[in-house]
Amino acid sequence: MANRLFQGVIHQLKDAIDRTIGVIDENGTVIACSELGKIGENVNIDFMNTSVSDTFTFGNATYKAIGSSQIGEYYVFVNGVDPIAEKNCIVLAISFSNIKFYYDEKYDRGNFIKNVILDNILPGDIYLKSRELHFNTDVSRTVLLIRSLDTSDIVTFDVIQNLFPDKTKDFVISINETDIALVKETAKDIEPKDVEKLALSIADTLSGEFYTAVSIGIGSSVESIKELAKSFKEAQASLEVGKVFDTDKTIVSYSNLGIARLIYQLPTTLCESFLREVFKRGSIQSLDQETLFTIQKFFENNLNVSETSRKLFVHRNTLVYRLEKIKRITGLDLREFDHAIIFKIALMVNKYLQSNPVKY
Amino acid sequence: MASLSLRNVYKRYPGGVTAVSDFNLEIKDKEFIILVGPSGCGKSTTLRMVAGLEEITDGEILIGDRVVNDVAPKDRDIAMVFQNYALYPHMTVFDNMAFGLKLRKTPKDEIKRRVEEAARILDISHLLERKPKALSGGQRQRVALGRAIVREPKVFLLDEPLSNLDAKLRAQMRTEISKLHLKLGTTFIYVTHDQTEAMTMGTRIVVMKDGFIQQVDTPQNLYLYPGNLFVAGFIGSPQMNFIDSKLLKEGEDFFVEFGTEDTKTRAGVKYKIKLPASKNKDDVLEAYVGKEVIMGIRPEDVHNEEDLIAQFPDGIVEANVEVTELMGAETYLYMNCEEQTINARVSPTNTARPGDRIKITLESSKIHLFDKETEITICN
Repeated sequence: MANRLFQGVIHQLKDAIDRTIGVIDENGTVIACSELGKIGENVNIDFMNTSVSDTFTFGNATYKAIGSSQIGEYYVFVNGVDPIAEKNCIVLAISFSNIKFYYDEKYDRGNFIKNVILDNILPGDIYLKSRELHFNTDVSRTVLLIRSLDTSDIVTFDVIQNLFPDKTKDFVISINETDIALVKETAKDIEPKDVEKLALSIADTLSGEFYTAVSIGIGSSVESIKELAKSFKEAQASLEVGKVFDTDKTIVSYSNLGIARLIYQLPTTLCESFLREVFKRGSIQSLDQETLFTIQKFFENNLNVSETSRKLFVHRNTLVYRLEKIKRITGLDLREFDHAIIFKIALMVNKYLQSNPVKY
Repeated sequence: MASLSLRNVYKRYPGGVTAVSDFNLEIKDKEFIILVGPSGCGKSTTLRMVAGLEEITDGEILIGDRVVNDVAPKDRDIAMVFQNYALYPHMTVFDNMAFGLKLRKTPKDEIKRRVEEAARILDISHLLERKPKALSGGQRQRVALGRAIVREPKVFLLDEPLSNLDAKLRAQMRTEISKLHLKLGTTFIYVTHDQTEAMTMGTRIVVMKDGFIQQVDTPQNLYLYPGNLFVAGFIGSPQMNFIDSKLLKEGEDFFVEFGTEDTKTRAGVKYKIKLPASKNKDDVLEAYVGKEVIMGIRPEDVHNEEDLIAQFPDGIVEANVEVTELMGAETYLYMNCEEQTINARVSPTNTARPGDRIKITLESSKIHLFDKETEITICN
């Protein structure tokens, strides 16, 4: 599509600029040119070390990248290596960049997907637009939301874009300074663990190659394009819920949130009244850090007193004494399953209230 | 100099989960150190803290003489290789290895030099023009290593890089990585849950469990002198036999006794194995006389050959063979001796069959004793 766009502009400009002008893609292939015979030829340029912000010369032509991405997608060229060629090259790069920007905004599939996941398009328009863009509406897709934990870095976007270069199937969308959404086409029967593995490979590549720590939220796999917004919201919610309940996890999948997902959807007033009902005798705040740590270990070890005491390096009787103390304060005997589950949920509700997460 | 020090390092997550506790380790320059332990023991978290991808809650990390607690990962002069690496599918091997350097604005000729040098070291120079889909699993792994090598770091951090490979390729890549360490002459920190990888590759091994270091030593010392029951069980395959026993003293001699008690229907059988005097170094056994202990013995120190039974008469017991496994170069016997499981690694020509009741001997000088309460080694 870009070829025709560029060729159209070049056709209008070729009489105004008395030189051969054209555009090459990232592989060095001429995709548009004022000399039609040159289209399809390959210019053997190694772009690895060319700057995207400056002009450069190669052979008897001056080149400049179109756009401001770290890696040039298209380069404009003007015949000659003199200052006029350089000036023309800069002017052409700016105008092509702007034309492409407006064109992309109107016709770009990535932009369309962005509007879909952000709910910026009317449901009725989704199918009209997707037909216009020859967009396959009935394939399975999953939204992954990649959040940089440190600084915002353009590198993260470039890396993800390069990991998923097939622009007809996968869409990498910058949401804000820290978040990038990846809309990934998947097999219909893909297992959630396979999507998690994919997310892990993104996280590991970013960590290993560019020292970027990220956390990744995964939405459900959806069959219809209309549901992409739901998958995106789930991915957002996964990150928020993960921040509260799975602080040690890098990858949080919506399908694995369990009770946390339920709690996240509860109104805070209901949560507060639940806590008041559970801890009639004493507040959860009256439990000190050591006691809370003991409780956490007791749950981790499946309410097994011997195992927990070993893990805590305390005598069995010390642990029994601590459990009795908890029973005295809260009225809940953690050795009983029913009490333990109430306590576990109450702890999660408390954690949820304290963290005050964003709701999607 | 790329020595590395971790001093009283802790990692606590906001929810209260403590992943790493009081981690102390001095890693020498050019050392190949392995962090090994079961899933969730904190080994990857420790590596990520060294890398700077996880903040440390408490303590200090030094690379060389520099405290790097607050130094950004990119300024720590390290390179990482992870288990779930991904290659850029539309780029050639050369571009895959050069991509990171390009984004860091490294000069073109420098990129070329580094990539070609890394490719030479990894023996993939002939693959530089290929795309990832045209590579085998091992070749892809080498490209992933190449991406780290081109950064010319002081310290390499490898987090289970071979986990996704099949067994044969994993064994091959183990050797490759050991060779790579020698060629590069830099410090390697390698995380794995596979004790075979740990034993075969590392100059020293750090065994971890539940966020704590259990023992740090050379592979051989870990195997011969485990510091506690966990290390004894974790290092070695098939794992060490553990037998619930009692320590006795008769005259000046110490014995371990195990077996079954009398019941109404069956007379119990007790076996008493005399321990050599060397086991009572510094009178360590005195405090345990009459107490229950755990006796440990490695499968290769359990014999059923006639000549070895004659050679080690102090440890003779009878056992029922339950399963035999012929491994090619050796045979594993899985036996039951008075309700205790004993495994033996014997010669492949061994004639013992499931259902046989055979005489075996436990080589008493190779017995390890562990405190039943604390699980700490009493003697090796």
